[in-house]
Amino acid sequence: MKILIAEDDLITCRILEKNIESWGYEVVLARSGGQAWQALKDSSLRLAILDWMMPGMDGIEICKKIRRRKKYKYTYIILLSAKDRKQDIIAGLSSGADDYMAKPVNFLELRARLQTGKRIIDLEDKLLYVQNQLKDLASRDSLTKLWNRVEISKFLREELDRTQREKKPLGVIMVDVDYFKKINDLFGHNIGDLALLQVVSRIKRKVRRSDKVGRYGGDEIIVILPNCGLLEIKKIAERLRASIARRGVKTGEETFPVTISAGCASSENRPHASAESLIKAADAALLKAKNQGRNCVFVDDDVTENTREVKNV
Amino acid sequence: MSDRTNPCQTFPIDYTEVLERIGGDRAFLEELLKIYVEECDKKLKVIKEATARQDFPLIQQLGHSLKGSSANLSLIFLQKVSFFLEMAGKEKNIALARSALAALEKEFDNLKDYLRQNPPSPVTP
Repeated sequence: MKILIAEDDLITCRILEKNIESWGYEVVLARSGGQAWQALKDSSLRLAILDWMMPGMDGIEICKKIRRRKKYKYTYIILLSAKDRKQDIIAGLSSGADDYMAKPVNFLELRARLQTGKRIIDLEDKLLYVQNQLKDLASRDSLTKLWNRVEISKFLREELDRTQREKKPLGVIMVDVDYFKKINDLFGHNIGDLALLQVVSRIKRKVRRSDKVGRYGGDEIIVILPNCGLLEIKKIAERLRASIARRGVKTGEETFPVTISAGCASSENRPHASAESLIKAADAALLKAKNQGRNCVFVDDDVTENTREVKNV
Repeated sequence: MSDRTNPCQTFPIDYTEVLERIGGDRAFLEELLKIYVEECDKKLKVIKEATARQDFPLIQQLGHSLKGSSANLSLIFLQKVSFFLEMAGKEKNIALARSALAALEKEFDNLKDYLRQNPPSPVTP
């Protein structure tokens, strides 16, 4: 773990550095408040020992600035000072320091106090990890692990805003597994789930890293493709359709054919489209693909909602 | 300024205490004392100039800094006179600053003499 030592006195600095390094920490030195603040921009610095009196910015001011930061993880601060009156200790801790030590430092005590700091940092990391996992869990569909409807809709809105600002197109492909209800009815829901998982896996392999795939509902999969106009989106959707149709879905030893239909829409021909209207357009194109006999791709090609057939197998 | 009435405080450096603080490493203590002597030499010159022109904030700052490094090296008398220098700066007391400066120079010379005769790493014949 990295530790910042901010101390203007060379002797104190060297003694702290030597001891702390011998305890297995990586030490970063700063000889003034300004240097310390600069060093603290490194987000991997989670422990800081700050001298109260330093030229330029003092330890108290740095404490306050650290606590005002929003985007950084928690930094555990030990304030060092020759001041050891009760009101100094209170003022130091009130500025945002976690701990306070009077100089000259007793190193057995400092070592123990650093261990406390490390424990707090470890606890906060664990908490953040669990929080992120919970957030991820709440953002994903439990079966396919794809982004759920709420998350993918949020992503679509954000990406549409960005691409419209940058005057770039954004594509949406709505995919539906053909006869999914029949698969469930004939083979059971477990096989239906398996078929859906294999379709999802193939779709994920065929799209770009920058694209996002989500489960929009039931067997409806949505793909958001930033910077994609009608021509590109048509090609990609066709690639998805062909990759599913090419090979059947394996369920143990048996294999049965599964196909998909896809409806495409892009902001290229709808420059002022909202996220909702793009989804609606892709959905309408998907419906046309279904009505044309399935296993095909339709592209919404203008604002009048006319669709044109790209391929009908 | 420096109170030598206490028979326990007759040496300018408490080797036992400082060695305990730095894990008994005598070579490291020698390195630290070398840095201290160089730094103190430089600071003394600046303190003299600051006292001559009555620059109290600088006197306070340098007194504080010397007090800290002296305390870390268990330089008992130098820590005390540095404290008086810091106080003189804080209280804007030029008489106190002058006497603290004189005591500081004297104690610094004492320390250098003592270190020549009693180095942290005893010279092996």
